[in-house]
Amino acid sequence: MKKILSLAITAALTLSLAACGSSSENGSNSTKDSTGTNSATSTEQRTLKLAALETAYGADVWKEITAAFESANPGVKVETTIDKNIEDVIGPGMKSGEFPDVIHLATGQPKGLTETFVKDNNLTDLSDVLSMTIPGESVTVKDKLIPGFTDTTITNPYNDGKTYLMPMFYSPTGLFYNEGLFEQKGWKVPTTWDEMWALGDQAKAEGISLFAYPTSGYFDSFFYALLNEVGSADFFTKVTHYNEGIWQTPEAQQTVELIGKLATYTEKTVPANANKDNFTKNQQLILDNKALFMPNGTWVVGEMSKAPRAEGFKWGFTALPAIKDGGDRYSYTFFEQIWIPAKAENADLAKQFIAYLYSDEAAAIFAKVGAIQPIKGMSDKLDGDNMLFYSIYDNGAKAAMGAFATTDPVEGVNISDAVFASIDSLVTGAKTQQQWVEGIIKASDALRGALK
Amino acid sequence: MDMKKGRGRFIFFCLAPAVLLFAIFLLIPTIDVFRMSLYKWGGYTDNKTFVGLQNFNRLFHSDKFYQTFQNSVLLIVLVTIVTFALALLFASMLTREKLKGQNVLRVIFYIPNILSVVVISAIFSAIYDPNSGLLNSLLKLFRGLQAEPVLWLGDQKMVIFSLAGAMIWQAIGYYMVMYMASMANIPESLYESAGLEGAGRMAQFFQITIPLIWTNIRTTLTFFIISTINMSFLFVMTMTSGGPDGATEVFLSYMYKEAYTNSSYGYGMAIGVIVFLFSFALAGILNAVTRREHLEF
Repeated sequence: MKKILSLAITAALTLSLAACGSSSENGSNSTKDSTGTNSATSTEQRTLKLAALETAYGADVWKEITAAFESANPGVKVETTIDKNIEDVIGPGMKSGEFPDVIHLATGQPKGLTETFVKDNNLTDLSDVLSMTIPGESVTVKDKLIPGFTDTTITNPYNDGKTYLMPMFYSPTGLFYNEGLFEQKGWKVPTTWDEMWALGDQAKAEGISLFAYPTSGYFDSFFYALLNEVGSADFFTKVTHYNEGIWQTPEAQQTVELIGKLATYTEKTVPANANKDNFTKNQQLILDNKALFMPNGTWVVGEMSKAPRAEGFKWGFTALPAIKDGGDRYSYTFFEQIWIPAKAENADLAKQFIAYLYSDEAAAIFAKVGAIQPIKGMSDKLDGDNMLFYSIYDNGAKAAMGAFATTDPVEGVNISDAVFASIDSLVTGAKTQQQWVEGIIKASDALRGALK
Repeated sequence: MDMKKGRGRFIFFCLAPAVLLFAIFLLIPTIDVFRMSLYKWGGYTDNKTFVGLQNFNRLFHSDKFYQTFQNSVLLIVLVTIVTFALALLFASMLTREKLKGQNVLRVIFYIPNILSVVVISAIFSAIYDPNSGLLNSLLKLFRGLQAEPVLWLGDQKMVIFSLAGAMIWQAIGYYMVMYMASMANIPESLYESAGLEGAGRMAQFFQITIPLIWTNIRTTLTFFIISTINMSFLFVMTMTSGGPDGATEVFLSYMYKEAYTNSSYGYGMAIGVIVFLFSFALAGILNAVTRREHLEF
C-alpha cells in the first residue's frame, strides 16, 4: 500500500511538472493563434503595441500621439510601453518571442538593441511606407520628408535600395559654446581650424581650455562631419565602409592630426568625468566658462536647463571650422529612428501608424516638446534657440549623415571603441596618434569581410 | 527494515522540492550558458549558428579579454587583501578592546553595506571629483592651491585603484561583522591565561584569535572572490562605464558589452563560462591552500 502511495505521489509530481512545461507551450501557442485570428479577421478592435524610448522630449508626447491616432482610427487601440530603459523593459519579452509591433529606438543606445536587430536581418522592410499617403492628407510620406534622410547607411543598412528604419526626430550637431563669453571678451567664433588653434592659445592664457566633450561617444557626429570636410563624401564613404588602405591616405593623416591636436587642447579633467553618470560635469565646463567648445546636439539645452551658469551665458552653436579659409563646413545631422521588428504581428497597422507620425497633426504635437521631424518646411515654424540651431544649414553649413556601415557581428571587435573611446587615451596621453590609427586599422580589417 | 525504508522515503520527499528548484533555477541555466557559448547568436532571434569552440578561440586571441582579466584579478587580489586585513583589525579592536562608542562604531562600519552601489558610486564620484572633490581639496592643503588636480578617475594608471578604494570601503563592514561574530565565541579565559603567561596583544591575536576563527576566514575567502567579481561589475557600470578607454573594464562588464552592445551573445556566454571556471578554480585552490587542522575551544 505504502509502495503504491509513494508511486502515486511520484507520478503526480512528474505529471504536474510535465504539465507545467507543456502548459507554457500551449499558452504561447494559444496566444499566437488568438492574435493571428485577430489580425486576420477583426476590423472591429485591433491592438497596436508601441515601444518607445523616453528621451528628453518626455513620455507624455507619445500618449498624446497615440490618443490622436486612436481617435482618427476607430477600433484601434495602442498599447504603449515608454521607458527610459526601454531596452531592459522589452528585451526579456522579445527573447521569449513577444515582439512589439513598432519600436521607437535609435541606434547608439547602451545595449545596441536596434543594431542587433539590424545585424540579425530582423527588420520589416518599410520601403512601401514611403509611398503611403499620409492619413487625412493627400501627400505621400516620401513627398513630405526632407530628401536624403531615407538614403543613409542607417536607414538603408543592407545596401539593397530598401528602407528598414524610418527617420523620426532630427537634430543638427556641432560645437556648442557660450556666446555671452565671446561677446564679453570680444572673441570671434573661429571659421577655420587655424583660427581655432589661435583662439585656443589665447584662451589658455586666461586659464580657459579650448575644448571639452561630454563622453568620447560624442565624437561620432564630430568625426563624421570632419571626414566630410577633410575628404568629401567619397572619403567619408570609404572610411565608414572600412576600405583597405584608407587610413594610409593623406586625408586620413590630416584627420588624425586634427583630432590629435584637439586632444592636446582639451581640458585635462574631461576623461575623469567622461562616463554616463558624470558627463554633465563636462558639459558644465562650458556653462562655467572653463572650456570654450563642446560637440553636442540640440538636446543639451534641455539637459542643462536647470544647471547653474556664468553671468551673461547664452547658448551659441556653430558648425565645425573649415580646413582652410573658404572651405566647406559641416554639421552632422543626428536623427532617431522608428522601425518594425520582422516578427511583429501587426506590421500593416504599424506601417499606418508610422505614416501617421508624419502628418501635420502629429508633427505639431511633437514640435510642442521640441521634437523636430525631417519634414519639409518644419524648421520655418521654429522660434527661440531651436531657430538658431536648425538654421545652421541655412547659414552655409553642409549636412553630413550616415554612420559606420552595418556588418555581421564580429566577436570582440567594436568600431566605436576603436575610433571614439580611444580618444580618451589621446587626451590622457596613454596612446599616441599612431597607436590610435593602428587600433582603427585592426578593427576595420576585422569588419571588412563581415560587411552586409 | 521498514523503519529504514520509511526514513529514506521521508528524506527523499523532503529533499525533492529543493533539488528540483536547484536543478531548474541553477543547474539548467548554468548548463545553458555552456551550451550557448558554442553558438553565434545576436540574442533576440532564432538565428543561431553552431560554431563549436570558435568563441573560445577568439577569446584567447583577444587583447581586450586579457586586459579585462588582468583588471579583474588585480581587483580580486587587492580588494581581498586590504578588506581582509582591515576587517580583521577592526573586528579584533571592537571585540577585544574597550573603546568608547563601540556600538556606534559598529553601526558606522556597517552602514556602507546597506547602501546601494549606486549611492556609494555617487559618493565616491564626488570624493574623486578632480575640481571639487574631497580628496583633491585635502591634497591642496599640502600641495598648494595652484597644484594640478589628481585625476582619480581620469588617470588610466590610477583609476583601477580608485575603484578598489570604493569597493573596499563598501565591503569592510560586512566582513568585520562576520569576524566579530566568530571572535565573540572565543572564551575570555583563553586570553586571560595567555595574558598571565606573558603573551602580548599581537601574540594573542595571531596565536589565539586567528587560529580559532580559521574556519570562518576560509569561508569568507570564497565570498571575497565571488563578491569582488560581482561587485566590480556594478561599480564599473556606475562609476566609470569601463573608461577611460577601457582602463577599468572587468570581465563581467566586457561580457555584458559583447553580449548586448556588440550583438555577440554567444561570445558573451563564452566569457561567462571562463568566469565561472576561473572563480570555481580559484575558490578550490584557496580552499586547498588554507586547509589546516581544525581547532576547537
